[in-house]
Amino acid sequence: MEGYNEILSVLILLTSFVLMANKRVKSYIRTFRLQSALIALTAGIMGIRSVINEGSYDVLVICIIIVVLKVIYIPNLLHKTFASVEYKVEKDFYFNIPLLILICCGLVVFTYFSISRVAGISEGEINSAVVNSVSLVLIGLFFMICRKKAIGQIVGFLVIENGLFVTAMFSTNGMPFIVDMGIFIDIITAVLIMGIIVFKINDEFDSIDINKLKNLRG
Amino acid sequence: MLLWILLIIAVPTFALLKDRKALHTVSVGISVLLLLIAGFETRNVILNGTVEYDALGGIFFLDALSIIILDLVLIIGLMAAVFSTGYLNEELRHGKIEPGRLKLYYILMYTFMFTMVFALTVRNMGIMWIAIEATTLASAFLVGFYNDKRAIEATWKYVIICSVGIAIAMLGIIFLHLSSVGLFKGPQLLDWTVLYGNAAALKSPVLRLAFIFILIGFGTKAGLAPMHTWLPDAHSQAPSPISALLSGVLLNSAMYAIIRTVSIVNKNLGSSLFTGRILMAIGLLSIATAAVFIITQKDYKRLLAYSSIEHMGIIAFAIGIFSPAAVFAAIFHMINHSFTKSMLFFTSGNILQKYGTREISKVQGLLKILPVSGTVFFLGLFAIAGTPPFSVFASEFNIIAAVFERGNFLLGALFTLLLAIVFAGIALTLFGIFYLKGNQEVHKQDSAQITDKGEGSPMPDIGALPEKGEMSKSGVAVIVVLLAVIAIMGVYMPSPLKDLIISAQQIITGV
Repeated sequence: MEGYNEILSVLILLTSFVLMANKRVKSYIRTFRLQSALIALTAGIMGIRSVINEGSYDVLVICIIIVVLKVIYIPNLLHKTFASVEYKVEKDFYFNIPLLILICCGLVVFTYFSISRVAGISEGEINSAVVNSVSLVLIGLFFMICRKKAIGQIVGFLVIENGLFVTAMFSTNGMPFIVDMGIFIDIITAVLIMGIIVFKINDEFDSIDINKLKNLRG
Repeated sequence: MLLWILLIIAVPTFALLKDRKALHTVSVGISVLLLLIAGFETRNVILNGTVEYDALGGIFFLDALSIIILDLVLIIGLMAAVFSTGYLNEELRHGKIEPGRLKLYYILMYTFMFTMVFALTVRNMGIMWIAIEATTLASAFLVGFYNDKRAIEATWKYVIICSVGIAIAMLGIIFLHLSSVGLFKGPQLLDWTVLYGNAAALKSPVLRLAFIFILIGFGTKAGLAPMHTWLPDAHSQAPSPISALLSGVLLNSAMYAIIRTVSIVNKNLGSSLFTGRILMAIGLLSIATAAVFIITQKDYKRLLAYSSIEHMGIIAFAIGIFSPAAVFAAIFHMINHSFTKSMLFFTSGNILQKYGTREISKVQGLLKILPVSGTVFFLGLFAIAGTPPFSVFASEFNIIAAVFERGNFLLGALFTLLLAIVFAGIALTLFGIFYLKGNQEVHKQDSAQITDKGEGSPMPDIGALPEKGEMSKSGVAVIVVLLAVIAIMGVYMPSPLKDLIISAQQIITGV
């Protein structure tokens, strides 16, 4: 069964590369949905395994929550938010896409070398699933840095959360159940609040370009 | 336990109330009740060492360290509640906020209080993380309460930077969890008492990684440089009582999470060399960053915010030294900073309402226009900069003594030098506001009272001075009480408090 983990973790990492190459906000949201679906699939496989081995339904419940929240609800919410703020087609990133992808590759290599040196995570052989999922966190961070629109930042934040979730899943077979539940509640509130602030930014600044937020300095 | 229940009941109560006076009364009443319960729990902690309940899987946990910070939260919370009554009435009178938003203010403020209390009273690091993330979310709209351009910008930065920072802390907690995999089961997972008790069995390399991520993550929330960028914006744009809460207690809650981790990691590694180096470096960097920005600051609320960064840096530095004396001083400094800084933010609220500007250059004659607030602000600035007889001096002095005791002369010298620069910065930028400068229009009603009107010098007209007189009784009462507290704590520390700090220090250092 170990093979599944690695294949899925690579696929999840690939979606983050796709996300980096996306040009439009709509495709960000679509890619995010795909990534969440893959994570839900991973959680599903793990959940079924834990039902068979230990008889606990915790991971399966979490899988269902991911499907409902991250595959269906949050992407729809983002679509709605995005549809109602004004949108002009303009370049949303600072560097060109090939450069961004190269930097992402660099991040993965960096994570590989850092993680492989830490004894305790990779005993004997390198745990590539953890490498992939930690890279996902870094790519999420980088995505937030390199996009100008507020919605891009929300998607970046969600990718970081996804990365955290898969890191927890691949390295420790999931956090304690109550902690996972709490994290989901936090994420959903965070996204709702960010969505509301995006509306307010749009009202006040007539755009959701966060480069216009320059009043407070020094 | 009662704390949680009361706060959970409190939030919907505000939703039901309509009358302005009723809202104020209920708010102050709840704060007083909370403080009474906290006093009772403090007594329990002093007598028994810890407080635990079996309900809800036994996640409720208090010991000397958490009770100190919890008491701070509730005391400053009460002060903020009292101050809010006067402050909000004034804002309503000027039409800065609509009457309907008062309810929202109190609901958010008590949700914010609840999340902080929750973070400090659980034993599970994972749940603590959830509560600390919830503090960001609960306070987001409080930061952006005025809904203007600047406030929204501050809110956006606050939510995004803190959420991402805290996400990094989650990665750290995942690694912390990973370092203990296979050792514990069920409810013991991530329980910091268990982790601390069995610290020697954890995997050190993963734990080091965990520490770095947790320091970066909660350090963002605690306002340590270079992750501090949200802090000046949020603190300066929020309503003043909220600034006081953010600075006086929220930063401490985040620091509390770091301290818990440091004690586990140090026990595991057997020395404080690893964590100490990082914490001291980041602490000095914070103080230096704050010093630079304080010298060039033009906005007094931002100046106070940068001073918070400085003081968090001082605390991190002291935790980095990790000798019993230094940790004792760090906790004492936390208490002092909370009282002093919240007092200054309350006072800055009075000044802001009087003058209607945050710019230092547009405020003058403070001692004449606001006699009490002006005096308190004046003394408070000396206090926060570390002048005797105030309590900040006592704890800073202890920290400096602890550095030299450890033989780190270079670090001690650098630390002292940076503190001196901050002192000079505060003196240079802010002391102009207390007196009248040059020739100017004085408000007609006050012209008789202001005698030392300068003559002749062709100063640009800065505009009329506002009317003399304090804004509200509650605003004055709160700051005077706080000033008395910090002045007394500087010369005399009650013995129960001292015992409590010593037992907290023993919890951290294990000695």
